[in-house]
Parts: sequence; structure tokens; C-alpha cells
Amino acid sequence: MTDLLTSAVRELEKRGASFGDVRLEDRSTFLVRIVNEQIQTMNQVRRRGWGVRAFVDGAWGYASGTSNSASAVREAARKATAIARTNAEAGVPKSRLRKMPSRTKSVEPPLRIDPRDVSVEEKIAAAMEVCRAQRMDRISSTTAATMHADVRFELANTWGAHLSWREVRARLFAVPVAAEGDRHESVTKFVDGTGGWEIVKDVDGGAFGREVAAEAVEMLSAAKPPSGLMTAVVDPGVAGLLAHEVMGHSSEGDEIVKARSFLTGQVGKRVGSSLVTMYDDGTYAGAHGTIPFDAEGTPSHKTAIIERGVYRGYLHSLETSGVMKARPTGNGRAQDFSRRVWVRMTNTYFAPGKAPKDELIEETKSGVLTKNWVMGMEDPVGGGFQAVTQSGFLIEDGEIGPRLRGMTLTGKALEILKSVDMLSKEFALDGGTCGKGDEDYVPVSAGGPYMRCKVIVGGG
Amino acid sequence: MKRARSSGADAAEAFAIAWTTKSAYIEDDVPKVADDRQEAGLGLRVARGKRVAFTSTTLASASDLRPVIAMAIEALRRVPEDPDFAGFPAESARGEVAGAWDAETAAADIADVIEAATTFTGGVRDRKGASVPKAIFRMQDYAIRVSNSNAVDATHRGTLVFCATTAKVGSKDKVGEGILKALHTSLGALDYAAMGARVAQRAAENLAAKPFKGKMEATAVLDPMDLGEMILQTVGAAANGKNVHRKRSAWIGKMGQEVASVGVTIRDKPRLPRGLASCVIDDEGSATKDRTIVQAGILKGYLSDHYHARLLGVASGNGFRRAVATVEGAYARPAETETSNLVVEPGTRSLEKLIAEVDRGVYIEKFAAPEVNEYSGSFAQEVRNATLIKDGELREHVKFALLSGNFYEGLKKVVGIGRDLVPTHAFLSQPGCAYVPAMAFDGFELVGQT
Repeated sequence: MTDLLTSAVRELEKRGASFGDVRLEDRSTFLVRIVNEQIQTMNQVRRRGWGVRAFVDGAWGYASGTSNSASAVREAARKATAIARTNAEAGVPKSRLRKMPSRTKSVEPPLRIDPRDVSVEEKIAAAMEVCRAQRMDRISSTTAATMHADVRFELANTWGAHLSWREVRARLFAVPVAAEGDRHESVTKFVDGTGGWEIVKDVDGGAFGREVAAEAVEMLSAAKPPSGLMTAVVDPGVAGLLAHEVMGHSSEGDEIVKARSFLTGQVGKRVGSSLVTMYDDGTYAGAHGTIPFDAEGTPSHKTAIIERGVYRGYLHSLETSGVMKARPTGNGRAQDFSRRVWVRMTNTYFAPGKAPKDELIEETKSGVLTKNWVMGMEDPVGGGFQAVTQSGFLIEDGEIGPRLRGMTLTGKALEILKSVDMLSKEFALDGGTCGKGDEDYVPVSAGGPYMRCKVIVGGG
Repeated sequence: MKRARSSGADAAEAFAIAWTTKSAYIEDDVPKVADDRQEAGLGLRVARGKRVAFTSTTLASASDLRPVIAMAIEALRRVPEDPDFAGFPAESARGEVAGAWDAETAAADIADVIEAATTFTGGVRDRKGASVPKAIFRMQDYAIRVSNSNAVDATHRGTLVFCATTAKVGSKDKVGEGILKALHTSLGALDYAAMGARVAQRAAENLAAKPFKGKMEATAVLDPMDLGEMILQTVGAAANGKNVHRKRSAWIGKMGQEVASVGVTIRDKPRLPRGLASCVIDDEGSATKDRTIVQAGILKGYLSDHYHARLLGVASGNGFRRAVATVEGAYARPAETETSNLVVEPGTRSLEKLIAEVDRGVYIEKFAAPEVNEYSGSFAQEVRNATLIKDGELREHVKFALLSGNFYEGLKKVVGIGRDLVPTHAFLSQPGCAYVPAMAFDGFELVGQT
């Protein structure tokens, strides 16, 4: 494949691209989903292809394909350069890239158990164990799945870089549905990360399945959450949504360049209580968003976004680094070979505090404790926060009270962060995928400690 | 398919898809990135007795077939039997739905897509101080072929246009943003300048919006785009035969019962002219047909793919893999029960008339992200573009508020249905599409900062 890369890079140079790169991907994914102890889907996917980028007069042209022939890749390089020129003629303002030193490097991930060495039977058995364990009174349907993705990348650019690396991720999840009369409730729980099959094998599947099913049953008697502005002890997953959806997306350099972020011009200003420190860290060992290089070949990096309540800075691609005269942070990422590069997060989290989690509850007279997230949505322009939780609990006089149905937390992010007055020492990261707007999903994680703050709560 | 059978499968089904994509990304009012992509892929389902396996691959050349077949045959040896598997479809159909594939769109080049994008930008910039921070305009031209060992051999082709746009107004200190999406099968059918004007208007309203304070139980008039997603997440899931069979539907055992207000009729219409999901065959090759799901508020039917149709005693024709915002990845998943074009029967009232009939309420054009729990129906969504209604008139714009309630209960409290259908797509690359008018609901609560 090296010949393919070399051929494309030469063509980009020949066609006059001021910068260009070509990235090959070979992606293998395995998924087995079991519903009611029967295989619903077993899917083995192989997807290979390449994407070529050309940068001409401040505009980008992309072309991608799947053919193995050097002539097809050269043709794509010609096309990408021509598209960039067409774009530039439409009046793109001058932009610039931050040139990175050229390097040649190959990175293999540390895997205890390579998923390729695990039999299909074992993968099915792991999911089946979790599915069977969900069987209990009032559980109407059980679901469990295991999956792993193995992606090999190779990248070369006109600055002389030639990199190859491999990213492997695994995931186990369970989704039981509980029913009673007309009421249906569901809970989703998963374990994931970068690494080998050990991520799944190290889980006690029986206990995992029973725990999530018991929680779904408990949800049948959960009460409607209170609504209004109140004290909330948010769990690490929901804290992660605040880190990721609001502060993270709004710190993406492309949003800053476009002045689309409420954090534009905020470096050095106080944005949260002095307890609040937040990072984006693509080097975090084993986390779901960990990458050796971004899609432009920049090594991943740990970037401080907030330190002791003070806003420190932005995440960058080669282009936003060039425009903002900053150091690239390894955040130029793409969903796959056919998709464009955006500035994207990796693992984004609040640093933990020192108090035990129970102390946060004991010191709360009334409020809510959240449990697990469903989704969140970014609002870089307005700085608004929205997080939907799976469930939660009422806190009354320092004790955990009745279970609550899923709730939505919202409010202005900076007001929430400035209200943070306690952080737990317990800390967790949850993996997932993150889109930019509606599309362009990349693997990430987000998390933090239990965090006490003031937030608007509503529930259906 | 033939090679799979000669390698040891009793039966096989091959789904092949090839597509081209042309996109233009606007950033800060100008086309910043444009692309031209081509891809083809194959999804292969093989069976031996009651064992079934699915594998898929990108198709760059004929040499890609050998490994995907070998992988499928190997998987057949290892999967347990599925007692409910009864073979692949044996009936199919031929033909095209009018407007599902548009010749001019298929022939468009990247310059045409860039032109649509710049026309949109002009529409935004016609409003003083308005600009486009980012927007995507994308066109896809695709063709599929489904063949199986029961002699089904069917084809379909389509074009898809997807626009996801933003506009902003205001100063460095205070910015308002509007968001607008649009989907069609024809690049030439959308009025890009009008889209630009509308999203700029939303941005201005967002800038003028005040934080909503207190709580209000009031009539909520929901704009079709986000409402369509909510209907796909609830009606689409509850009427899904796979979910019914697996006891994961909120409408199990409700056939013949009231699930919505008497004015609500919902059909799945795979042969809707110019429909985003329209086709005479589903992605298993089965013939498609209109299905009534809810008639005058009463649950009348479930949707099903071939596998679940026999188990539930209903018709097949809803086995899909293709999404309508993009066909990317369609070959990499097996066909499963999904909606095609889920259509809420429109009423006769304009949006203005719907609003005029509300004494006290809120008109919501955009949520942060529509998200309803498909099992319980509960939701609480942050509003991004909303306007209070008093005595039938739109009053002040509001933000920083949640609309909450139970959507299944809300469907039983529909107090108004608009006349203009707008298409929307399901989340991510999930198949499914809804054509929904604006609708007015009682029983939801708007909660703001107290």
C-alpha cells in the first residue's frame, strides 16, 4: 500500500497543492447482538478505502474511493486538487496550515488478547451470558451485544510524513426492557475502551446482566422527577456530558475561528469555580477516545481546557493551529476515509476532587442525584447545556430517596460550572461516539467525578 | 450468491449498492471544503438449514468476493441454529416510484452543489448582519441490486439531497443561531435562497429570545422537522414488528385500541412519489405496499421485514438497510424492520391557522435534539427556537427552557394538525423517514429558569 500513498502524494505535489495527504483505512468490525437469547444480528464488516486531501489557496478539496489501483488514487489526487481550486475561486479567505515536522513511525496498540485470536463461539457466549442473566420477573425482553473494531491506518503527506498505526476497540452492552401493565422502561449499560478482548473478558457477565435488569425493573416504580432550578449531584457520565457537549465542543478551534463559540476570547478568564479543571486527553490509556495520531498524523496530546476555574485554551487541527498561531493538539479527526477532517475531541473530562461520593449526598439537603446518561447536545453558540439521563434519585436531608425516571438537565454552562462546590474522588469515563452537528461520528469518551452544582431539571 | 452456494450454503442473499457523493461545506459564508466520493459494497446473508450468517465488505474488485464468502461460510459453522428462520423472500417486484431517482440530480457535478450552497448563503446574507458559520450540502446517486437463491433479482435506484445549515446574527458579545435541515430527492427542487432567509430569521429570533421563567402547561405547536424525529422514535419503534415480536414495543397488545386522537391517521407509504425512502422493493427484495398503522386514532397494523412477517402473521415489505440522509454503510448491516416513508395524514389548516386557534401555548421550531424514550414515551427537550402564543398570536421568543411530557400520551391529546408535510430523517444512519405536518398537542409542560 505504500506505493499507493507515494503515488498519490507525488500527484498532489505535481498538481500544485500547497499541502496534501492521503490516508488509507482497513476497518474490520465484528458485532453479535442477542435478543431474548436468540442471535438477532451477527455481523462481520470489512471496509477499506482511502481519502485524499488537497489544500490550495486556503481551500480544501477531498476525493475518496475504494479501488486498489494506483491510477485511481492518482486520479483522486487530481480531482481533489481541482475541487480545491474551484472552491478557492469561489472566494475562500486566505488560510494557513501549521507545518508539522515530518516523521516516519509505526504504532501497534498494547493488546492483552487480540480479538482476532478469539473464536466466534466465545464472542457469542459472552453476549449470551449477559443476555441470560437479565431473565427475571417483569423483564419482558433482554438484549446483549459484544463488538470489536480493528482499524489499520496508513498516512503520508507532502511534508514527508509516513505513519502507520492500528486502533482496536471493544464493547459489551446490555439493554433489558421491563414491563408492567402499560408501562415500559429500559436501561442501557455498557463497558468499552481501546484495547483487546480483555475489555469484555474481564467483566463478570452474569453480574453485569443481573444488575442492569434489576435496575430496569426498579425503573417501573420510578417517580416523575421534580422540575425547576435545583441542586444536583451529577454522576461521572453526566459530568462528562457537561465537559464534552458544552465546554468541549465550544473549545474546538474551528468554532473559535468562525467566532461561533461562546468561549471565543475567553482564554485567561474565569469560567467556573476554582474546583473545576478539565482536559481533553487523546493519550489516556485504554479510554474509548484514545488515539496515537489524529487523522492528519499529529500525535495525540493532553490539553488543559480549564485549570482551577480559569479557561486555558482550545483544541486544534493543522489549519486552526495555523490560523490561530497555536500548537496543534492532535484533534483533527475524521469519521472515516471518506469524510472530512474537523476539530474533534478525544477523551474529555473534569479532574476528580478529594471528597468521597457519599459526602456530596450527605451535605445536600434537597436535590437530585443523576444516574447514567442517554444523550447530550452541544450549543457552542449559546453555551446552553442539555443532558438526558436514564434515571436518578431524589436527595432528601442528605440521604438518597426514591428512584426517579429519566430527566433532562439544562441551563447555561458557565452558571452551572460556577455553581460547582463539591467534587468526588471517584472518577469514571464513559465511551461513546460524537457527531459534529448531525454527522461525522468519531469514538470518544467523557467523564469526571460526581459533581455538585445548580442546574435546571425537567422530566417527562 | 452462486459462489456462496457452491461453497456450502443452502441459500444466499446478496445486497449490492454503489453510490457517488458530492458535498460542499460552507464555512464563514464561503465553500471551504468540497468532496467527490465513490463507494460500493456488498452485504451477504447465507443460510444452511436453520443457521444464518451475515458478512459484508467494500467492493473494489471481484477479488473482494472470496474473503467475504469465506467469512460467511466460516460463520455458518459457528453460529447456533435460529429456530424461527424460514428462508429468504420469494416474491418481488419491478419498476420505479416516480421521482425517487432524479436524472438531473444524478448528472449534477460538484459545481452544481457549490452553486446551491452559495445561493443559500446569499439568502442568509440578505438579512443585515447575518452569516453562515457552517452548512453542508450533499447529493447522492445510488443504485442497489438484491438477489437471492429463491430467484429474487430486483433493482432500485435513487437520488438523495441533504442540507444541514446554520446561520448566525449578532455581535461578538451576543450571538443568535438558527438551524435548518432540508431533504429531497431532487437538487433542483429546493429553494436555497428561501432556506437561507428562513434560517437567518430563526437566528434573529434566537438572538431576541429571552430566558423563559417559571412553568407553563400549555398547548405546544411543534414544527414538522423535529416532530418527525419524535414520531419516528416512538410510532416508528412501537409499530415495528421486530420490537413487537421481541416484546420491546410500547404498543404490544394494543391492536384495535386507541393510541392517538381521533384525528390522527398514520401510514407507511413506500410508494410515495418523490419520497426519500420510496421504492417498489425493500432491501430484501420484497415488494413494498402502503400500510395503515393508525387509523383515526386506532392502532391498525405493524410493519415487518420478511423474518418477522411470518411470526406475526402480517405482510412483509419493510426490511430496510438504507438511511435517507445518506446511504453510506447500507451494505454493512442486514435488512431489518424499519419504516419507509411514515406519513401523518395532513389536516387542512395552515401553520398560521393552527397557531391562531391556541389561547395560551408555545410554538417550537427547533429543539436542541429531539429525544424521546421509545419504551416509556417520556421526554424533556431543551428548546432552541420557540415563541410563546397568547390569544392566537405569536408573542415573545424564548430560550433556556425544557418542553417535557409523555409523547405516547401526547398523541392522544392532539388538538390540531397542519396541512403541509415536511420530510425528516431518523437519527444517524438508521433507515426511516417521516413526512409530518405541524401538530398541536395538549398536556406538555414548558419549564424555564425559576
